[in-house]
Amino acid sequence: MNKNPLSIIVGVVLLAVFIVLLFVFQVRQSEVAIVTRFGAPHRAAAPGPHFRLPWPIEKVYKFDQRIQNFEDKLTEDLTADNNNLLTQVYIGWRITEPQVFFPKFANGSVTEAEKVLEGMLRSAKSAVIGKHALSDFVSAGGGSQFARIEQEMLALMQAQLRANSYGIAVEFLGLKKLGLPESVTQSVFDRMKSEREVLSSRLEAEGNAEAEKIKSRATSEAAKLLANAEREATRIRAQGEAAAAAVLPTFQQNPELANFLLRLNALEASLKERSTLIFDASTPPFDLFRGGSTNLLRK
Amino acid sequence: MGHDHDHPHEHGPGCGCGPEHGHDHGHGDMLSHRRAPVAPAPPPAPPPETPLDPGSQALATALRSSFGIVKVVMVGLVILFLCSGFFTVGPQERALVLRFGKPLGEGEKALRGPGLHFALPYPVDEVVRVPITELQRVTSTVGWFFITPEQEVAGTEPFAGPSLNPATDGYVLTADRNIIHARATLNYRIEDPVAYVFNFTAASNNVLNTLNTALVQSAAQFTVDDILTRDVFGFKDAVRRRMTELAALNRLGIVVEQLEVASRPPLFLKNDFARVTDAVQKREKVINEARTVENQVLSKAGADAAGLTNAAASESVWLVESLKAEAARFNDLLPRYRENPHLFVELRLTETMGRVMAGVQDKIFLSDSPEGNARELRLLLNREPQRPRRDGPTP
Repeated sequence: MNKNPLSIIVGVVLLAVFIVLLFVFQVRQSEVAIVTRFGAPHRAAAPGPHFRLPWPIEKVYKFDQRIQNFEDKLTEDLTADNNNLLTQVYIGWRITEPQVFFPKFANGSVTEAEKVLEGMLRSAKSAVIGKHALSDFVSAGGGSQFARIEQEMLALMQAQLRANSYGIAVEFLGLKKLGLPESVTQSVFDRMKSEREVLSSRLEAEGNAEAEKIKSRATSEAAKLLANAEREATRIRAQGEAAAAAVLPTFQQNPELANFLLRLNALEASLKERSTLIFDASTPPFDLFRGGSTNLLRK
Repeated sequence: MGHDHDHPHEHGPGCGCGPEHGHDHGHGDMLSHRRAPVAPAPPPAPPPETPLDPGSQALATALRSSFGIVKVVMVGLVILFLCSGFFTVGPQERALVLRFGKPLGEGEKALRGPGLHFALPYPVDEVVRVPITELQRVTSTVGWFFITPEQEVAGTEPFAGPSLNPATDGYVLTADRNIIHARATLNYRIEDPVAYVFNFTAASNNVLNTLNTALVQSAAQFTVDDILTRDVFGFKDAVRRRMTELAALNRLGIVVEQLEVASRPPLFLKNDFARVTDAVQKREKVINEARTVENQVLSKAGADAAGLTNAAASESVWLVESLKAEAARFNDLLPRYRENPHLFVELRLTETMGRVMAGVQDKIFLSDSPEGNARELRLLLNREPQRPRRDGPTP
């Protein structure tokens, strides 16, 4: 036979590969594996390469160890104050103990596990919702207690999981939908409709009232302004008169002359504009017409 | 279920197909398969035991040369197999190398940045790519009415019935127990690729559910008018805050980049809500009109007030000044008056009359009657002319 060294090397390498494949398996990050020996769970394996005995002695089952999403259907429950409330919840769960998980569900079926989770969720939901009034769910100004409600549901779930030891942990739980039964939505709509009507008429009335208020405030403000101005004007006039009074002593030197001059001014001022003057012959200087001229001539 | 297989060959090599554990056969795998049956069968050279006739000699030569070709191909395949370990990482992604299923390196160091990298071929190493800088987007529609994409594109709205079926029509409950529709769109970036890929089977699903929760729970704390009109930004902010909080709490490994919230009243009550909006606008209008009136009234009053005070000021100035002037004149005239009061008065009076008369329009002079009695003068002062009576008795 031709002993080609290349063939030997290739042969040995292939044999080695085959043996490695038989005796080693690897677990990916995000996975966890269960090794069964003659069908019974023997040990768990973390991510990385691991040794195994070849089939049919040992068999490897791998599970996703990441958080899986599960959401239930919309279900109807009665709140503490007898309101029907529809809720839908999602949870993040993961397999924590594959050795426990694996035998509990047929060959570690995730679907089977989800069925169990759904049942638990169902009872946890009705128990927790039954303890809370609707106002714990919906109310303004931070009155709603979602965080608490979710915590309570989560705690119930975890208690049940612990009690039954499924090898599962629920990491988080969230209320993702709230609803009302269809017949209730109709009455809610009716109520909303009447609320809208009340609101729009109230808005209108409010607007008119506000407008009136603004207008009357403006009127009174204006009146106040004018009154103030009037007072100010009077004060200014009084000031002027006081200043004028300071001049009066001058005229007291000769009241007759002062009187005459003032009357003269008044006369002039009153006849300034288009005026009609009727006078008789005794009014100077028209007394001249009555023979005053002769007096003058005689002089 | 593929879990009961322990044969490593069923897993494809790192082909960048994401976190899902691919079960398809990649090309690298195919190569190793093809090599397997070929390699251990180096066809033995035909034994030249018997003298050859030219035909078998030709066959031998042909076989030898084809064996040579097979060897070359084999070497080529081995080289190709080794070279398949090179991979590139794009600018928008990071890659993780799993050696025997475990990430190489810890934390940040485990992430390979953009560029050319090498990993051993499967089954030793596996490359997992994670989009990182590119924005991911999810839209929460738990609170939105049922609408087909065609209707959405056409801009038409579905039929609005007087009730909502919770199974098909989404909505949210508000704090005042009203029903409205709300929809949130979240843009996020993956901050912690390792957590995003290795902690969740369907991370984007989780993000979506968290967004649903944030939206539904925030809506339950706001009244319908706050969500729709009065505090739109406050509501959006609340959803965003809750989302950020929950993302951190559930360790989703994401950063909230942008969150948009759209909300609208139920289709069935569209007109009722529109009426309220109208009323709001009407209210604003009425108030604005009143403000205009207010401004007019106040500015007029201000002007009037200023007029009053100004007039008073100028009047008093005039009074004082004219009196002063008068006093000055008085002082000037006083010595002359004292010289001869009678003459002074006569002169002044006559002079003034002369000046005044020039300005008077109508001057009527009444001379004395010959009897020396005063004449009687009757004045008709601009009375309105009497109208002829029309409705009087006809002649």
